[in-house]
Amino acid sequence: MSTAREDILNALRGRVRRGEGVPAPWRSRQHFDDLAVRFSTTLTALYGEVIRAASAEEALDRLGDVLRDLGATRVAVNDEPPLSGVDLAARWPEITWHVVGRTEGDLRAFCAGADVGVTGAVAALAETGSIVVNSGPGRSRLVSLLPPMHIALVPVSCLTSDLLTWAAARSGEWPANVTVISGPSKTADIEQTTAIGMHGPKRVIAILYGEAGG
Amino acid sequence: MNDVSFHSFRAQAAQAIANAHLQSAIDGATLKFRTERKRVLADLPDVEAMRDHFKAMRAATLAHLTDYLEQFEHNARAAGAQVHWAQDAAEAQQIVIGIARQHGATLAVKSKSMTTEEIELNAALAEAGITSVETDLGEWIVQLAAESPAHIVVPALHKTRQQVAELFSREVGRSLSADDIPLLTSEARRALREKFLAAQIGISGANLGVAETGSIVLVTNEGNGRMVSSVPPVHVAVMGIEKICPTWDDAAVWLELLARSSTGQPLSVYTTALTGPAREGDPDGPRELHIVLYDGGRSRLIGTSYEEVLQCIRCGACLNHCPVYQEAGGHAYGHAYSGPIGAVLVPLLYGLEQYEALPHASSLCGACLEVCPARIDLPRMLLDLRAEEVARGIIPPPEQLIEKSAAWLLGHRRLFNALTDLGRVFQRPLVSKNGLRVPRRFNPAQDRQLPSLAPRSFHDLWQELAAEEALPARAARRWPSRRTSLTLAGISLLPLALLWRLLRHKGGKRR
Repeated sequence: MSTAREDILNALRGRVRRGEGVPAPWRSRQHFDDLAVRFSTTLTALYGEVIRAASAEEALDRLGDVLRDLGATRVAVNDEPPLSGVDLAARWPEITWHVVGRTEGDLRAFCAGADVGVTGAVAALAETGSIVVNSGPGRSRLVSLLPPMHIALVPVSCLTSDLLTWAAARSGEWPANVTVISGPSKTADIEQTTAIGMHGPKRVIAILYGEAGG
Repeated sequence: MNDVSFHSFRAQAAQAIANAHLQSAIDGATLKFRTERKRVLADLPDVEAMRDHFKAMRAATLAHLTDYLEQFEHNARAAGAQVHWAQDAAEAQQIVIGIARQHGATLAVKSKSMTTEEIELNAALAEAGITSVETDLGEWIVQLAAESPAHIVVPALHKTRQQVAELFSREVGRSLSADDIPLLTSEARRALREKFLAAQIGISGANLGVAETGSIVLVTNEGNGRMVSSVPPVHVAVMGIEKICPTWDDAAVWLELLARSSTGQPLSVYTTALTGPAREGDPDGPRELHIVLYDGGRSRLIGTSYEEVLQCIRCGACLNHCPVYQEAGGHAYGHAYSGPIGAVLVPLLYGLEQYEALPHASSLCGACLEVCPARIDLPRMLLDLRAEEVARGIIPPPEQLIEKSAAWLLGHRRLFNALTDLGRVFQRPLVSKNGLRVPRRFNPAQDRQLPSLAPRSFHDLWQELAAEEALPARAARRWPSRRTSLTLAGISLLPLALLWRLLRHKGGKRR
C-alpha cells in the first residue's frame, strides 16, 4: 500500500513541470439587487417553496402552520438557531418531537419514519436558491435527508450572492459534512421525465425570516 | 472491458443507428442538455473568462500535482480520514474489498461514480461475496439489466419505460405499470431505502478533492451521494488522482461550471463537502471515511502532450454535442467513458492497441472543444492519436495505406491539384443533384450519398480572393490547414476508398 503511494508520487515527480503557479482566485462578478428576491424566485423554480416571515418568532408561527396543514405527527429537529431553546413540545403538544442531541432514542430510525425534518441554515445562496447546512453537535445530517419533507429556517442575514462569495467569505475549520441543498431530490433517469423525491425529501420549504439587509 | 476494433465499433454503431428508440432518446436528452447548458451559462457574468481561468487553474494544479496530492493527503488524514493509494484497478478493488471484509460487510450501497465503473468494482465485490447495490436510479436500472452505462451522466438513457417497469416488477415481485413514471420512481425509492438502512458500507466516487482542507465533494441530484456518505457506518470514496484542486475558491469555480456544463443546472440539487468522518459530538455520520486515490495510468500522462485530458471533470458536455456519439450511442465505445472524452482517454489509459477504433470515432468538427468547461483540445489529441496509430502500425493495412497515401499526396501540392481536376472529369457521369450516385455495393459511405467535388476548389477560390483583396501572399500560402487538407484528400481519394470497400467486402465474407 505504501509502495503504491511511493510509486505513484515518484512517477509523478519525474514528470511534473512545475512552472507557473495557480492563478489568483476568480472572484464572483454576479450581482443581485435583492438577494432575498433572487433566492426565492430561483428556489421556487427548482420545485422548492419559500415562505417569508418578518422575525424568528413569526418564522416559528409559519412553521406551525405548515406542520398543522400537513397533519405532521412525527418531526425531527436540529438543535440549532433559531430552534434551540424553543419548547417545541409545549408549543405543539400534538406532535412527537425528536430534538437532535436532546431526545433519547435512535435518531436514524426516528428520521426514517418522520413526517418532517426541520433545520436552520448556516448560509443561503441567492444565485442558485440554495440552503447550506452543517453537521456538528445538535446538527444531524439525516434530519434534512431522510424525512419526505425538509423545512429550513433561513435568516435573511445569512444570504450571500453565490457559491463563490460564500467560499471566499467562509472562515474557520470545516465541519465533517457541509451540504448545499438546491430544492427537493429529483431524477430524470426514466425517459428524461422529471420525478421529484428520489432519495431525499420530496418537498423543501425555506422559511426566510428577518428584515432585508438586516 | 472489451477491445474496440474498427469492426466492433462499426457493428455496435450500426445496431444503435437501427434502434429507433435509442436514437430518439439520445436526441431528446442531448438536445435538452445542450439547450439548458446554453441558458444557464448565459446567467454567469464573464463566463468565457471564467472558463479561461478554470483551464489555467486545472493546468497549474496538474503541473504541481505531487504537491497538491501530498497536501490533500495530509489534511484529509488530519481530519481523520484514511487515505489509500492504488496504482491499478486490481489494487483499488483489493483495498475496497479489504475495508468491507474488515467490517464484515455483506451489503454495500453505491452512489453514481464513473471511477468505480472504470475499475469494475461491482464485479470484484460480487466475486468477494459482497453484494453491491447501485443507488443512482439510472445506474440501478443498468445494474438490474446487467448492462453498462450508455452515457456518463444518464446511464439508462437507452432503456424504455416498459423495460424499466419490467425490471422493477421482477425486483419488487409485483407487476408495475410503465405508464406512471413517478410511481416507478417511488417504488425504487422504497426498495433502495431498505438497502441504505441495511448496508454496512457506502461506496462513492468523488467529483473533486480540495487540497487545503483534505475534503472531497460529492454532487448528485437524487441524494444518493448524501445517502451513502451519511447512512452506513463506513464510507469509502474512490477518486482519480487528477481530481484535485488547491483551494475552496478553486472548488467553487469548478462547481459553478460542473452542473451547468453537464445537465444545464446552475447547481445540482446536492453538493456535499466531506472533511473526515463524523466528529466527536456529531449526532450521526460514518465512523470511518476511506479515500482511495486511484492512478490507473493517469500519472503516465503527466508531462506528455496528452496531459490536458486530465483536466476533464466528467460533465459529459462533449458527449451531448458530438455528432458521432449522438448516432453511435455510448455502448459502441466499449468502455464506461464514451463520446469524445472516452475516445481520447480510454486509448491513453488502457491502450491504443485495444481501442484502435476510438480515435476515429470523430468527425473532428470541434464541438467538443467549444463546449468543454476546461477547453480541453480533444480534436488535437484525436489527430495525434491517429498519427500515433499509423506510426506504430496499429491500424489495419488498408487504413494505413490510405492515411500514408493521404500524407504523401498532401506533401505534393501539384499532384494533388491534378488529381482533383481529374476527379472532376471522372465523376461527371455520377454527379446528381444530391451528390454522387455510386451503386451501394461500391459506396464506402453505404446508405449515405457521397458529396461530389465542387466545380471549383476552395483553394482556387481562395487564391482568386487573395489576389483580388491583395491579401499578403504569406497568409494565402499558409492555407490549406491540416484539417482542411485532410478533408480534401479524403474526397480526392475516392477511387482508393472504393477499392478498400471492395476489399473489405470480400474480407467480411471470408470471416
